[in-house]
Amino acid sequence: MWGIYLEQLLQSLPFFLKGLWMTVAVSGLSLLLGTAVGFLWGIVRASRRRILKALIGAWVDVIRGTPFLVQIFILFFILPEFGVHLEAFPAAVIALSNLAACFICEIVSSGIESVPHGQREAAVSSGLNGYQQLRHVILPQALRVILPPLVGQYVLLIKDSSVVSAIGVMDVTRAGWLTVQRIPQGILVFGLVGLLYFAICYPLIQISGALEKRLGRSSRR
Amino acid sequence: MIEFRDVHKWFGDLHVLKGIRLRVAAGEVLVVCGPSGSGKSTLIRTINRLEPIQKGELIVDGMKVHDPRTPMTKLRAEIGFVFQQFNLYPHMTALENVTLAPIKVRRMPRREAEALGKEVLAKVGLADKLHQYPAQLSGGQQQRVAIARGLCMHPKIMLFDEPTSALDPEMINEVLEVMRALAREGMTMIVVTHEMGFAREVAHRVAFMDYGELIEIAPPEEFFARPQSERTRLFLSKILTH
Amino acid sequence: MLETFNFRVILEYLPLYGTCLLATLWLSAAGLAGSLAVGCAACAMRISRFPALHWPAAVYIESIRSTPLLAQLYFLYFGLPSLGVPVSETTVGILALTLNSGAYMAEIIRGGIQSVAPGQIEAAVSSGLSYLQRMRSIVLPQAVGITLPPMLGQAIVLVKDSALLSLISLMELTRAGQILTSERFMPAEGFLTSAALYLSIYYVLKALTVWSRKRLIHLHTG
Repeated sequence: MWGIYLEQLLQSLPFFLKGLWMTVAVSGLSLLLGTAVGFLWGIVRASRRRILKALIGAWVDVIRGTPFLVQIFILFFILPEFGVHLEAFPAAVIALSNLAACFICEIVSSGIESVPHGQREAAVSSGLNGYQQLRHVILPQALRVILPPLVGQYVLLIKDSSVVSAIGVMDVTRAGWLTVQRIPQGILVFGLVGLLYFAICYPLIQISGALEKRLGRSSRR
Repeated sequence: MIEFRDVHKWFGDLHVLKGIRLRVAAGEVLVVCGPSGSGKSTLIRTINRLEPIQKGELIVDGMKVHDPRTPMTKLRAEIGFVFQQFNLYPHMTALENVTLAPIKVRRMPRREAEALGKEVLAKVGLADKLHQYPAQLSGGQQQRVAIARGLCMHPKIMLFDEPTSALDPEMINEVLEVMRALAREGMTMIVVTHEMGFAREVAHRVAFMDYGELIEIAPPEEFFARPQSERTRLFLSKILTH
Repeated sequence: MLETFNFRVILEYLPLYGTCLLATLWLSAAGLAGSLAVGCAACAMRISRFPALHWPAAVYIESIRSTPLLAQLYFLYFGLPSLGVPVSETTVGILALTLNSGAYMAEIIRGGIQSVAPGQIEAAVSSGLSYLQRMRSIVLPQAVGITLPPMLGQAIVLVKDSALLSLISLMELTRAGQILTSERFMPAEGFLTSAALYLSIYYVLKALTVWSRKRLIHLHTG
């Protein structure tokens, strides 16, 4: 009996691959946007601009303290009440980028704070300006600390992107949800969905672990 | 060149500089000594405003360092600072460490900066270590790179904050040798150190600090032979018997 | 925005939010308890030297960590009935939270055990303690302190993750927002109230995390 279902499932494989492409598109786009914004916020958070720091800190808390599903519902259902109509795809990218930015902000600011204070003093003493200190002295060293959790964060981002299926984005999870109505074999259908996520996430987790080992060791040399 | 006019500094409630008055002329070598916590490191860290002061006036090379409106980046480029812990950039080679500021701050073309960097590193005896990373160098070598990093900016003043305190004894002399050579060339230097041999030999004046006050300042022969204050005498007797 | 914000409706639905808040807390707590048990077992299996124990645990942990909770939830929700196992939504929800969080718990516990200084174990070995004795009286007591902050972090994640259970129609905080949206067409009132309640749970757990970190520092400095 599973044979028939398996055959049906294989026939809808292109449908799943299309969904996978959507998952990659949503999370890839959010990853780029989230990284850019997250670095910016993280740099501000590690600086001495008190008001901006507090604002970012409060926002990060709000985002970290509420479920992503609720955030995306708020964006998708409430904005129209203010006359802003967002399609599911841009709404998903905005919500996911913001989520990523909030987590990356924390990673970046603690990376910057991990650089010994003497490094900044040395850079200050040679007359480098704020941007030059950051660009040539602080960030290259902070990156060692930032990179492993950053890649780990990308894994979380890809997994969190499954939630955007709830507002109708046609990603892998949505593809599975639609298919299971037709082929009532949850194990098979969501086994396949899981396999597709695994194919992307598992290598990334390994990379993150390898980075941690390599960078962790060489920074102590 | 450097003038402290009744300079005060507090860390919270802690009064770390209590009305410092001091003039250092161009070409002068001043050695500052004193027990730990006496404020001597803080004193030289105020000169390039690594530590801002709260009261008094501090004029360096004609610029008002005490005035928060004075832009410091330009002045800092004229002042070399050597730290106890070297603070070399671990992700850069020796040559990259010394050429970063000339390229970025002075806008010197890379090739010119590298020629300068090689020359200065050769001067401190490290011509063969250009492409080594700090972690591959000994402490003494790292500190010499740090001095070269300051010199590459052709500074008007060099400040040394206990440059040999973090070094193994056998490496102290190679660093002091570089500093002696600098002094002979007429560099304006303030050196915070416990190396009294160096002070006796190189300094024009020696200052003693305790509890945030400048207790005594005199030419070395006078300072060591006839210390005026009881506290100076006590400190010298402790440090010289070692 | 505030002038259009209908507080009266929230007041009207307050009992619903109360029940749903309790449901979220209860579901998360059940998931936390379950995942602690699963996590301990999975960790013990993973650090074991026997392949028959090690490999199943490794496969379980890695496949959970490499796939989204929502896919795992649907896998159980649609999968168990198709295998002929009749389960309620609540059971599926708690099971999904438990299995998902259990994998992360296993890693947290493993991290805690590995962070106990090797000198401690050597000292215990030297005084002739057996493997189990070492674990029980030397390693675990120290590991518990180290793992407390990340475990509280995992509790925060669990509370937020439980929102996904609304997608299989379980009554909890997010579902309350959905109900207000569908019954009264008031998504702003509905979801912002849910968000505020989640946030208050978060702040309590965050304060606990900060407290546990401080305690940890005391522990280490004696």
